[in-house]
Amino acid sequence: MGEVFERRALGGRNHLLEISLPKGDFKALGRFVRLRAWPRLGLGPGTLLDRPFSIHRAKPGLLTFLIREVGPGTKILTSLNKGDQVRVIGPLGQGLDDLEPNFLSQKWYLVAGGAGLGPMGSLVEALGPKAKLFYGERSGPDQVRLDYLKSWFKKSSQENIVATTEDGTGYGRPGLVTQPLIQSLALEKRAMIACGPKGLLAALAKIAQQNGLRYLALAEERMACGLGVCLSCSLPKLDGSNFRVCQDGPLVDGLSLDWESLRA
Amino acid sequence: MPKNPHLPKNGAKPDQAQSRDLNSNLGPEPDLSVKLGPLKLKNPVLAASGTFGYGLELAAFCPPQDLGAVITKGLSLKPWSGNPSPRIVEAGFGLINAIGLENVGLEAFLEKYLGPLKKTGAVVGANVLGQSQSDYVALTERLSQSQVDFIELNVSCPNLQHPGGLSFGSDALSLAQITKNSVKAANDKPIVVKLPPLVTDIVSLAKIAQDNGASAVSLINSLPALSINLESRQANLANGPGGLSGPPIKPLALRQVALCAQALAIPVIGLGGIMDHLDALEFIVAGAEAVQIGTGLLVDPTLPVQMVSDLAKYLAQNNLKNLGEIRGTLKF
Repeated sequence: MGEVFERRALGGRNHLLEISLPKGDFKALGRFVRLRAWPRLGLGPGTLLDRPFSIHRAKPGLLTFLIREVGPGTKILTSLNKGDQVRVIGPLGQGLDDLEPNFLSQKWYLVAGGAGLGPMGSLVEALGPKAKLFYGERSGPDQVRLDYLKSWFKKSSQENIVATTEDGTGYGRPGLVTQPLIQSLALEKRAMIACGPKGLLAALAKIAQQNGLRYLALAEERMACGLGVCLSCSLPKLDGSNFRVCQDGPLVDGLSLDWESLRA
Repeated sequence: MPKNPHLPKNGAKPDQAQSRDLNSNLGPEPDLSVKLGPLKLKNPVLAASGTFGYGLELAAFCPPQDLGAVITKGLSLKPWSGNPSPRIVEAGFGLINAIGLENVGLEAFLEKYLGPLKKTGAVVGANVLGQSQSDYVALTERLSQSQVDFIELNVSCPNLQHPGGLSFGSDALSLAQITKNSVKAANDKPIVVKLPPLVTDIVSLAKIAQDNGASAVSLINSLPALSINLESRQANLANGPGGLSGPPIKPLALRQVALCAQALAIPVIGLGGIMDHLDALEFIVAGAEAVQIGTGLLVDPTLPVQMVSDLAKYLAQNNLKNLGEIRGTLKF
C-alpha cells in the first residue's frame, strides 16, 4: 500500500503524482504498475479496474507518475492529496535494461506523443545527454509545463528537448512531432524509443524501417490485470502471433507489430 | 477539490472497509469443504476460467492450491489468436470483454502448463470450447487421459457462436448432444457445463445438462453487451459486442442460480459479480455448492484467498459448522 507524498499540477490536465512506498526500490525504465485509489466496487461508473501506469520516475521508496486526466480513473488519481492511500501492484513488465542491457552505450531518440511522455522521465534520467526528446502535443493547452520538462536535463543539454504542437499554439515548433525527428535523422541516425497514440507509433515504424533503425515502441494498452491472465493487452505481430504487452512488454520491437490492423 | 470521503486514510486498505475484529472466541476450524460430483474440494472458492491464466500466473498473489479449484483459460484444440484490440472496456459499474478466447491450444497446455500446476497440489478444472460438437468430444477425450480433475464445457461464451448465431448452450439439442458425448468421452472425469445466462428457460437447459450426465452446472457466463463511443459512433471494442461481467450481473446470476439449485439434483456452481465473501454467501444461500471468482480476480488478485479466510471467520462468528447449514436456505 502506497501513500501520496505529493501531487501537483503541471499544466493542462497533467499532474505529477508522487507515491511513497515502504518497499519500493527498483528501476523504472519502461516498467509499469497498477494503481488503485478507490474501493473494490469502484467509485462511480468506469472505475472497477485498477489503472496501469508507466512509472515516470523511481527513487528508493518513491514512485512518480505523470498522469493526464482523461476519464473517471485519472480524475480520481489527479485529485488525490498528500496522505491518501493508493494500492500499487508492481513493478510489472520488462524495462529497457532487460531488453537492451547495454542501452547506456548508445544515443537514443525518445519520441513522446501526448500522455506518452510519462515513461520518458526515467529514460532521460538514465541516459542524460545521450537522450534527445521529441515531445509532440495536439495543442498548447495540453502541454506539460516547459520548466518541468527542462528540469529533466542539465542546462548544457536542454537543446535536446524538441517540442511541437500540431496547431502551433504551444511552446516549441508547429506541426507534427515526426517532422523535426526526420530532420534530426538526416543529420544523425539513432535508435528510437517511442510512446504515444498508435497512429504515431505506426508512423514511427515506417520511419524506422526507411532509416534502418532499431525502434522500441512502448505500448500502453488497456489492461484488466497487468499480470498475464486477462489477455486484454495482446497486440498482433506480423508473424501472426500475439505480443502480450503486460508480460512481454511494454517495450516491443516496433517493427514486429502489425500496426495496420490496429485501430488508431 | 474537497477531500474524497471514500478514499481511506490511516493505513486502511480501500477494499477492506468491512473488516471487523473476527479473531475473538473462535471455536474449532469451520468446515468449508464442498462436493463436486465425486470430487471433494477443500473450500467453495474457485478461480473462474479466463481470469486465472493457466494456473500459476497469479500464484504469488493467490496460491492455486489454497482454492477449492482453479479453472484454466478456455482451451481449443488448436491455438486461437483472439479478437483485435481494444478487447476490454469498463461500462457502468462492470466490465465488457471481447478477448475472443485467445489460448495456447490443448497440446501446449498439456505439455507446458498442467504438470507444474498439478505439482502445487491444486485441484484443476480445464475449461474447453469448440466450434463444433466434435471439438468438445475430442478435447474431453484427450483431457480425460491427463491430470486434470474435471472438465468445464464452455457452451455459453458470448464471444463464441456457432453458425446459427446462438451459443451451443442455448440450443437444447446441441447442449444435450455435447454434454452426452463429452461425458462419455471423459471416462469418469466429472463434466461441468457452463450455461448461458440469457435464455428463456434456464432450468430446462440445466436439466438437459443434468439428464445427460453432467456432474454439475456452472452459471452464469458473461452477458452479451455493447458499449458505444458516441463521438465516433463506433463500438468501444474492436469486436463490437462483448461479454458483460462484474458487480452489475450479480442479481441476474443469483436469480438463475436460485432457480437451478431448486430444480436440480446435481451441484450448481454460482458465478457473476462476486466481489467478496458476503457475495459468495448470497450465492450459497441461493443454493450454490461452490462459487467462481472471475472479474473480482482481475480487480484484486488476492481476492479468492481473502474470501476463503473471510468465509471461515463468518462461519465461526455465526456458529455455523459448515456451509451446508446455510446452503439453499433462501426463503421465497
